[in-house]
Amino acid sequence: MKHENGEDLRLLQLQFIGKILAGFTHEIKNYLAIIKESNGLIEDLISLGKTSQGDSEQYLEITRSIEEYIEKTNNLFRYLNRFAHRMDSQLATFNLNETLEELIALVTRFANQKKISIGKDFQEDIPPIYSNPSLVQFVAFSFLHEKIKNLDNNSKITIQTAAAENTVKLRIIPEGNFLKGNDDSPSITYEKLEKIIKQLGGNIVQEKEKETLITLAMNSP
Amino acid sequence: MEQKDIKVLIVDDEVALANTLAQRLQMRDLKVGTAYDGEQALAKLKIDKPDVIILDMRMPGMHGMEVLREIKKVSPDIQVIVLTGHGTDKDEEEAKRLGGFDFLKKPADIETLARKIKAAFQEKCERKG
Repeated sequence: MKHENGEDLRLLQLQFIGKILAGFTHEIKNYLAIIKESNGLIEDLISLGKTSQGDSEQYLEITRSIEEYIEKTNNLFRYLNRFAHRMDSQLATFNLNETLEELIALVTRFANQKKISIGKDFQEDIPPIYSNPSLVQFVAFSFLHEKIKNLDNNSKITIQTAAAENTVKLRIIPEGNFLKGNDDSPSITYEKLEKIIKQLGGNIVQEKEKETLITLAMNSP
Repeated sequence: MEQKDIKVLIVDDEVALANTLAQRLQMRDLKVGTAYDGEQALAKLKIDKPDVIILDMRMPGMHGMEVLREIKKVSPDIQVIVLTGHGTDKDEEEAKRLGGFDFLKKPADIETLARKIKAAFQEKCERKG
């Protein structure tokens, strides 16, 4: 991660939101293009007179595809809406798995560009925590994005969650070769991320093989 | 050469989009193949010998701009139409500088796309004389 010179946390958070929105709009544009083309295909089949009675299966297949992409669009909007509402209050009770799930859905596009898969290994019954959800997402995104940037194509990242005593643990585990990335977009320093997590009553440890372990207090001080 | 002889290759990582576009263009009497990433597209250049390539920009692995550069290096005659959901003016300039024929944004109108393909093919034929 880069060394900062008094960089503004708010600016970095805005960049984070900008990245999420860029990935989101790109994905939605693709889904809408698929829906438009599928609809156009039905139109073509009818207007170009290339239909026969045996075509009903093809029509069904096209309408199923339209439905599938409307569903995908709807899901992505749901994640974005939840993500936006994470900023409603500075402190809230929330489920860490859910915040990570929406983060993964919104950053998958970046990982896909390098054929990097993001896997989840969540403790299912993880207790809710009282903390700052948007800051937690920002810190998780910063580490995740850093790893996506620097990992080689076809790598894997696993995000693991677990509860322990009065804390929850979030581990980001990369698998693959690390390269020097070409992406020059500014990254927040490790020290600043550490400071944010400390303010939330937790800590960060960089473990073996570039794993990152973030421990969060169940109740933010 | 007739329109039905125009060979088109669609390169897009969205499989559903590539396949549906291919079907629609086939209905307009074009010969259409598909590739779902840059590496696949480059591998198909020698086998399929397309006249016109419809190329997405943001794809897993090779970026569309790299693919365009490579296509023009290997087969400068092939016409490339960029079709992207993410294009900026800078991208458009860069694509044209690299020899791209046109730059369209998703979702594109199918008749416009078919017209551009024919225009690209015509220019290719004229260049060959």
